[in-house]
Amino acid sequence: MSLLSLAQALRVSFQNLTRPKNTEPLPWKGSRERAERYRASFALVHDEHGEEACIGCMLCEKICPSQIISVTQGPKAPSAATGKPRGWCTDFTLDLNACIICELCVQVCPADAIIMMRVQEKPGFAREDLLLTMEKLYANEKLAKLTWATPTKLQEMQDPKPKRPEPVAAAPAKDAAPIKDAAPAAGASSAKDAAPGAESAPAAGTTPSKDAEPAKEVPPVKETPPASDAAPAAGTEKPSDA
Amino acid sequence: MTVGTTYETPRAGERKGEVRTVNVGGMRVPYHLTLLERPDPYLDIDSYDPEADLMALNMGPQHPSTHGVLRVKLYLDGETCIKAVPYLGYLHRGVEKLCEKLTYVQITPIVDKNDYVSPMMNELAINMAFEALLKVEVPPRALFIRTVCAEIQRVASHLLWLGTFGLDVGGGIGGGATLFMHTFREREMCLDLFENLTGCRFHYNTHQVGGNRHDIPEGWDQKVKRALGHIASRVDEYEAFVENPIFKARTIGVGVIDPILAMELGVCGPILRASGIDFDLRRDAPYAAYDKVEINVPVETAGDAYARYLVRVREMRESIRIALTLLDGVPEGPISALKPVKGPTNVKPKPGEAYVSIESPRGELGTYVISDGSPNPYRCKLRPPSLHAAALLPYLAPGSMVSDIVATLGSLDFILGEVDR
Amino acid sequence: MMEGGLLFGNPWLHGLIMGVIVLSGAMGVAAYAVWFERKFAARMQNRPGPTEVGYGGLLQPIADLLKLLQKEHLIPRSADRPLFNLAPVLVVIAPLATLAVIPFGPGLVGTDPSIGLLFALAISSLMVIPVWMAGWASNNKYALLGAMRAAAQAISYEIPLLLAAMVPIVLTGSFRVGDIVAAQEGGRWFAFWPPGPGFFAFLLFFFASLAESNRIPFDIPEAESELVAGVTTEYSGMIFGLIYLAEYLHTFIASALAALLFLGGWQGPGPDGIHWMLLKSLLVFAVIFWIRWSWLRYRSDQLMAMCWKIFLPLGLVLVMASAIWVQLR
Repeated sequence: MSLLSLAQALRVSFQNLTRPKNTEPLPWKGSRERAERYRASFALVHDEHGEEACIGCMLCEKICPSQIISVTQGPKAPSAATGKPRGWCTDFTLDLNACIICELCVQVCPADAIIMMRVQEKPGFAREDLLLTMEKLYANEKLAKLTWATPTKLQEMQDPKPKRPEPVAAAPAKDAAPIKDAAPAAGASSAKDAAPGAESAPAAGTTPSKDAEPAKEVPPVKETPPASDAAPAAGTEKPSDA
Repeated sequence: MTVGTTYETPRAGERKGEVRTVNVGGMRVPYHLTLLERPDPYLDIDSYDPEADLMALNMGPQHPSTHGVLRVKLYLDGETCIKAVPYLGYLHRGVEKLCEKLTYVQITPIVDKNDYVSPMMNELAINMAFEALLKVEVPPRALFIRTVCAEIQRVASHLLWLGTFGLDVGGGIGGGATLFMHTFREREMCLDLFENLTGCRFHYNTHQVGGNRHDIPEGWDQKVKRALGHIASRVDEYEAFVENPIFKARTIGVGVIDPILAMELGVCGPILRASGIDFDLRRDAPYAAYDKVEINVPVETAGDAYARYLVRVREMRESIRIALTLLDGVPEGPISALKPVKGPTNVKPKPGEAYVSIESPRGELGTYVISDGSPNPYRCKLRPPSLHAAALLPYLAPGSMVSDIVATLGSLDFILGEVDR
Repeated sequence: MMEGGLLFGNPWLHGLIMGVIVLSGAMGVAAYAVWFERKFAARMQNRPGPTEVGYGGLLQPIADLLKLLQKEHLIPRSADRPLFNLAPVLVVIAPLATLAVIPFGPGLVGTDPSIGLLFALAISSLMVIPVWMAGWASNNKYALLGAMRAAAQAISYEIPLLLAAMVPIVLTGSFRVGDIVAAQEGGRWFAFWPPGPGFFAFLLFFFASLAESNRIPFDIPEAESELVAGVTTEYSGMIFGLIYLAEYLHTFIASALAALLFLGGWQGPGPDGIHWMLLKSLLVFAVIFWIRWSWLRYRSDQLMAMCWKIFLPLGLVLVMASAIWVQLR
């Protein structure tokens, strides 16, 4: 009996000989596909007019728990595309050596300027190799491996009370459809860059079909008011930039 | 104190049949464990047998099996330990002080690093304390997501424990390494689930005050079901791999814990449950969505390393069941009660204090926060279960051999990041 | 066998040529055993194993050797320098000397004296002295504990090992390895032929040699989760590589002896020769690795208890049983 259980151990290790390898190849021999939300390095992006999106508001510098971001705010100047005055960032440094990948800088960005990337930073031989300067951050944007989470999408996802009419219209569809599509639908229908018409059409199409069973979504809606009451009581304050 | 007698521990009733229990402080304690001799942790070495040729062995802080940087000073008589003194603090990072300097928004990613084997629990504990301070009601969807994540994290943590325990008992060049690799293969699946949900495999920063930061993505529940079903089948494989005479010889009767002593020292979690005390915060003081699901608490009465192994393996199965049950009932709705964080000083609770404790994979993980009305907590005290488990060591080591001390250390499953903070 | 067991008439010439062949072959086997073990263990753990140096990591042993040669030879200040340096050399000498009497084929042997088996077992048990030397000279507590365990274990398991080896000796009536192999002619391998004692003696020999060569589940002298690295804690560079090499050589010799004494040596279905010998000993080798990467480890006192309470009585019974078999036959 007991010897049989020793043979069991031999059997388990033997049957593992035939199982596929579960280790990933070395980075220079091909990389694994990361999840859509995977976050690793950083990039600064350009907005829809092709201008640098960062307005130099320094919110990311303030919220960073490791204090690794330093932003230099430039003078306000009119935007070439829209003609409206806006802030500019003259220098932006992010020290990946001490970054803890917490995504808080993305969370607070009011201009959708800083976005995390789905590829790891390349290890280097000097400390400066991990110091992301402004040029490196804008070069990272061209790698086209940006993660899913833009600040707007993150905030839309977390918002207890959707503000704008389109998300409210989409909300029953989101709630009625079982879990899947929840996040992308909410995010995409409100994101500026995604085509709103194309996205909202299927959402509207699902609304009447599933409208008959919104029983499940009623309690959360009812529970939102106390939550939103608590929020101001907690002393939620507007960020200084807005 | 006697030396070398711990191999013959009273094991009345063993694991099957009746176990006589006595009532100690309102808890049913197995009677045979109360008979254990309690060694003197403050044994005066000078008054020990002068004929004995004692050897002081510093196990750690760089030692393969002290799980990081614990240093245990062992006084050995031959290879039998007569006194063990653990020295803590080699991994002290001043997290509690750091919490006083950072704002409520910024603390979550920092406390992730405390118990670096189950970061989700740290986030949950500290954010629940902040929410108690704010008196904010977390939406049910967030509660369900938190609970599912916590249970997956518990599975991942116990998988890591099983692997490292294999390393302790079986060696890094041998069967232990094989077990380690197998458990890590399955733990990887748990981390992949978290990668899909939060974007990070570890140190997620997915909880925030008032709710979660990340909603469930499309198809995540199917992935969870697939992965957890797979892990459940692999747990049987680990049992087939491990439960043999060698493993039993190394664990049965090793590091038997007196539950009364454990209660005096504040030890909880699987260690206490393996000593026959039926105590689980998930069931006894439900938080998050644990009141929505039935929780079976595995209890063993032998109190040794093998009992702790049994409890943890059963807990793994139980966690898989809880996670799958809760996953089917995730309600729709918002995932956060507060407005999205838009600045470091967004959360400012009124002056007050709060203590919240949750059941982490290692036991009761408590957080005590005092607010003075500013955006940073006035004081943030963490009550790590690992610290209390490490305190057991001077009571367990005397009388056992170096090999047994290693097995005991492994079975206590403390995380030094949490002990030292 | 050739006349007098010599391939090249002159025993000196024979010894020289065979020595070169056997030693270099055994060294190569030991080096590639490491590669094989790493690959084998990796596949058991769903890993690819060494892949970088050469095709499938085939040049890995050579790369490891070059790395070890480059490394600094660190000697702790408080170590006993002469002993510290001498011990690894002596550790390698014991298995290499044993190889002299281990035949790998008909006539393919350094020398086949009439006490060949006795010589092999005696010399290989000498290994405990340099191991103790290494542990003592390191002046390290872990090394000392490891050496203590190694000495206790090696001396204890010497006895069941010898008793298990006594079974083929009793059955054959000769200490000469060539005679023992010859007695197993016609597929009557000692592992199977006297139906009871032979098989158990094979198992006993196998597990006792596992303990002798410090393999899981008996690897307590170098239990790295307890004693960091046992006797090799303070060793570095090629001098550590020597101890490592000696361990693998020792394991290889143990499996070769098991193949010779119990599995018919170089005899097999079809033509006899070195291929059968290599196949059998490598098979035993692979089983040792299979066990090593599947089982956990015993505690030292349990190990001793097993030796004196199970293995030793079993060995005595087996020797008696084989003696009775010889008398009744």
